[in-house]
Amino acid sequence: MSETSSDEARRLAQGARDRVRFEEEALALADQVYRVARGVSRSKEEAEDLMQETYARAFRSWQSYTPGTNLRAWLLRILTNLNIDRGRRAQRTPDSQPLEEGDYFLYNRLEAASGETEEERVLERLSQDHVAEALSAVPHDFRDVLVLVDIGDFSYAEAAQILDIPIGTVMSRLHRGRRILKKELAELAVEAR
Amino acid sequence: MSEVDLCDWCEEVLQPYLDRDLSESEQSEVEGHLAKCRWCERRYKFEAGLRRLVRQAVVEPMEPALKQRLSELRLDL
Repeated sequence: MSETSSDEARRLAQGARDRVRFEEEALALADQVYRVARGVSRSKEEAEDLMQETYARAFRSWQSYTPGTNLRAWLLRILTNLNIDRGRRAQRTPDSQPLEEGDYFLYNRLEAASGETEEERVLERLSQDHVAEALSAVPHDFRDVLVLVDIGDFSYAEAAQILDIPIGTVMSRLHRGRRILKKELAELAVEAR
Repeated sequence: MSEVDLCDWCEEVLQPYLDRDLSESEQSEVEGHLAKCRWCERRYKFEAGLRRLVRQAVVEPMEPALKQRLSELRLDL
């Protein structure tokens, strides 16, 4: 083998090793990425499709990832872009009606409906199912932020980077998303009875 | 501020408090009020519990079959 072709072989072998390492690191994050996928999808099936599309795209474009940067954020950026591409914008758009109620509103409603005055008892009025259902009723733009920050544990700055929106928008959507979630929870846990 | 005004103020700063986004002096003002006001304290504790509930909302783990399908998406060497 000439000098040049053995250099070439070494370069190819190094490239293959880098790629395998990238794939393994990406797969090791799959459980965390899935939590976000499930949070932004209406069903388990939709979340699974979204995961497969995300990983197929990530594996194809691994060379555009810069080693040493936040891989979890990089994967979620692909995921949220794919989710937008899937035409989810056709769904209900966020209404711009102001939500007048303050932050104590949900507690006040639950307390009044249950007659309980201890916070643990009041909280027991809410189930995981209520939360999952209320979350799916939050319009997408708000839900994406809520899922990333309140479920995925991303900072405001990371969420801004993933969704490609200003940090101020992350904060305002988060604020509004939490209010909408609480309004939905009040309806599910109180009015439906 | 009177204690009643403090209740209104505490309602306004509930989210930034839980996000640890208040200044140190604001944070200790909230904590001072909560120590005296059981009414607000209940609402703060409820909200922290609600945050935990939301965090746990997506508990259903990924199916092992999906994990398998994801690793099959890896490119051939």
